[in-house]
Amino acid sequence: MATAAGPPTANGFHYADWEDRYYHVDQVLDRPGPRTDPDSFMAGAAVKNFLRDKCKILVIGAGGLGCEILANLALSGFKDIHVIDMDTIDISNLNRQFLFRPKDVGQPKATIAAEYIMKRVPGVTVTPYYGKIQDKDDDYYMQFNLVICGLDSVEARRWINATLVNLVDRENPESLKPLIDGGTEGRDLSFRYHVAPHRSEGFKGQARVILPTITSCYECSLDMLNKPTVFPICTIANTPRLPEHCIEWASVLEWPRVKGETKLDTDDPDHIQWVYDVALKRAEEFKIEGVTWSLTHGVVKNIIPAIASTNAIIAASCCNEAFKIATSSAACLNNYFMLIGTDSVYSYTFEHEKRDDCPVCGGESLEISIPESWTVERLIEMLVERQDIQIKKPSLSTPTKHIYFQAPPQLETAMRPNLEKKVSELVPEGGDVIVTASTLPFNLSLRITYT
Amino acid sequence: MGFDISHDINAETATTHVQPDTKTRRYDRQLRLWASMGQSALESARILVIGASATATSILKNLVLPGIGHFTLLDHALVSPGDAGNNFFFDGPTSIGRNRSEEAVRLLAELNDNVHATADTRDVADVLASDPSYFFGFSLIITHNLAPVLLTRLADLLWRNSSSPPLIPVRSAGFLAEIFVQFHTHEIIESHTETAPSIRIDKPFPALLQAAQALEFDSMDTTDHGHIPYVYILVRALDDWKAAHNGLPPQTHAEKQEFKSILNAQRRTSDEENFDEALAQAYRAWTPTVVPPHLVELFADTATMPPTPFGHLLIALRSFSERPPHVLPLNATLPDMKSDTESYVHLQNLYRTQAGEEREQFRSLLRAPVDSELVDLFVKNAHGVQLLKGARYGALDALPEKLVMHLNSLTRETATHLAFSALDAWRSSPPRQTGGPTERELRDHVVTLIPRTELNEKELSDAIGEIVRAPTADLPNVAAFLGGIVAQEAIKMITRQYVPVNGYCVIDLVDTWTGVLPS
Repeated sequence: MATAAGPPTANGFHYADWEDRYYHVDQVLDRPGPRTDPDSFMAGAAVKNFLRDKCKILVIGAGGLGCEILANLALSGFKDIHVIDMDTIDISNLNRQFLFRPKDVGQPKATIAAEYIMKRVPGVTVTPYYGKIQDKDDDYYMQFNLVICGLDSVEARRWINATLVNLVDRENPESLKPLIDGGTEGRDLSFRYHVAPHRSEGFKGQARVILPTITSCYECSLDMLNKPTVFPICTIANTPRLPEHCIEWASVLEWPRVKGETKLDTDDPDHIQWVYDVALKRAEEFKIEGVTWSLTHGVVKNIIPAIASTNAIIAASCCNEAFKIATSSAACLNNYFMLIGTDSVYSYTFEHEKRDDCPVCGGESLEISIPESWTVERLIEMLVERQDIQIKKPSLSTPTKHIYFQAPPQLETAMRPNLEKKVSELVPEGGDVIVTASTLPFNLSLRITYT
Repeated sequence: MGFDISHDINAETATTHVQPDTKTRRYDRQLRLWASMGQSALESARILVIGASATATSILKNLVLPGIGHFTLLDHALVSPGDAGNNFFFDGPTSIGRNRSEEAVRLLAELNDNVHATADTRDVADVLASDPSYFFGFSLIITHNLAPVLLTRLADLLWRNSSSPPLIPVRSAGFLAEIFVQFHTHEIIESHTETAPSIRIDKPFPALLQAAQALEFDSMDTTDHGHIPYVYILVRALDDWKAAHNGLPPQTHAEKQEFKSILNAQRRTSDEENFDEALAQAYRAWTPTVVPPHLVELFADTATMPPTPFGHLLIALRSFSERPPHVLPLNATLPDMKSDTESYVHLQNLYRTQAGEEREQFRSLLRAPVDSELVDLFVKNAHGVQLLKGARYGALDALPEKLVMHLNSLTRETATHLAFSALDAWRSSPPRQTGGPTERELRDHVVTLIPRTELNEKELSDAIGEIVRAPTADLPNVAAFLGGIVAQEAIKMITRQYVPVNGYCVIDLVDTWTGVLPS
């Protein structure tokens, strides 16, 4: 085989692959397998050309999953890779984020990761962006063929999911961007499916494929996610029993009382030390054992254990799906894979179903039944709390009038009296309420009935 | 090899009160899982990996990052152009023509200064022939796509001696893979089981029963009443029930409902959370605290108890459980529950005191001296301890009845396993063919393992077809996936925490599933 010079890379120059560079990958690109769809798989030059010269992929997150994802994509033959991450490197990242070294601590993850990949895998362009996904607009996301997320935040996943669903234009097939989402931080569906709710942390993760508007989206599964542990404020204040209760008391109640305007910085060892000392004193007072520096740090910073091997498994699953989607060399996952490694190797592959009343991809209004006596304020409380909605600071309106807006301040002040009013005075039986929030790029439509 | 707990206690008390040192901060996210004891086991481990493939270096990466003590990478081959294209631990085309183990070790060692690494450029065939004792200098051995004849020789060598290091052979081709963990026995104290230990509502120890009956529910004010721990509520309700029912707990569905309505009737107000908890936990009143089935099974087979501290501990645990009330030593950990601080702390102390007494009773049953801290650890984790009995690599393929049984219940896993065994048979059958195997050739090998009539056409074609498509492909994503799976198993074997795969773990990344074939 002759050395082939492809079209210009994103840098504008040609990079010649050495002969047999893709000896391994080419075995599955040169011929189909028994389960390959013959109509979509263009074996040989066509598929290789698309993968290596045309396909543009976005990686969101350059942390535990992101580092692995970038290396896997580069070796698989993706040559135009973009990566977004808003974080800088911390020493506790080094036990798994293998593109970073002690000298990189404090540097942006996206930049260092991109440089490392380009140095190690010649001919691959990785374009970093050190910032937030919300900084980018629809035109930016439109340029990619695929998006892979390696995040540990539910909010960020909801944002990118809704953005990609909104991008879909039925007239334009290119507007459908498959979203592959990996996670190892425990906000998965394992509790819902009665497997390993708590102790398998660190050894557990999931990968899912979302074809926006076609398959179940991230928002469709929101109410089924494992919930983080929350300690009731009255327990913390009045009846502490666990060391965690004392730590929460110190960080949530005592810190603002004593420190006033100074915000608790969970990365500042002096701040953690203060919380630790205060928590320890309270624990001694109540004869509660077990407050340590490490536990304090873990509770205050909401630390979730993480190891290299689990990230490797989940990142590899995500990249394998990206590779299969980009090449059609095999069908992609439909649509959810979870793996738990604490007791032998357990995994579960299943299709998570689309929700017709999903606020992002469903199209139908969500039916809500509330007492006739409820005020607007009470309705807002419910919207914040409900597991399938979870909207922080929602603004409400009907198709004809505004009910309550969180911002700007003048509007908020003007509409504040509405909070005391009954919903039933503002919205007729069976009427619609549109809910919006600045943190989420979608409108939730509620149909209100009264009991 | 035993459980080494010497590093544990001092290290933890020393780091309790102050900000941790650099090393602890680096490993913080994993120390929260396997603690300093697991970490020191990793730091004492010496791992041998045979073959510097993309899969092998991915596995090593995930062992170097968490800080194993030492690894040796054994490979005499030179980096090919294909190797340079799919292995992140070669330096692109500049590595081509250099020794595979030396190149990979150089780049893997960069990941963690604390890890000692050696490149061994000898041919494994020569080492097996001339220096078999070499392999006994390691605590774990991993191979990837090792030539079948050499793998069998290595597996047999290790199997002959029960104190040999465990062996993890990995096979992969294209989107399919299989791993095995070979060990004679494997002792686990900290299995990190999902099952919580019993809090003995059904068999309350005297101090607990006394404390529960001493409470004056009726004279309490509303606040106190709403803060009685559900443990007291249940223990007392059950004791009263048994007094009225010939000493028996609620048994029929109707009785259980009646028991619950008795609990409900004790509520002062409808929103008492402690009574909500008591109702939710009421099943504990009629679920007898017994020795977990996996331990009953283990106790029945004491002839094979290992002559190790763990073996002595197991024998003592059996003796303990043979005495009334036929339970394991009480666990000192009490779950959180609705309560005021004082009641909870008092209840917790009752459990701690009783657990301490039972631990001393347990200690007196030991027939050989065992390190005191190891005894404490064992008792604390007694309900989850495991002694796994493993099998020789390849033994399953000589058991056609077992294969047929597996084929019925674990069809795709067994079919994929058979396809790999057929590939190995093809690779070792002389004369060595050029090019890859054909479907026909692999099928011919499969029917030497299992009767033709038992074969399931679809699953077998799916597996064989993928292997024929890419018989030598070490795909980057599959390598990375295996890198994670195998490293997890290696960590479990080394730390003796969590439960490793006992048998074959079969992986299909066409349809994205994994399954386990017991050996």
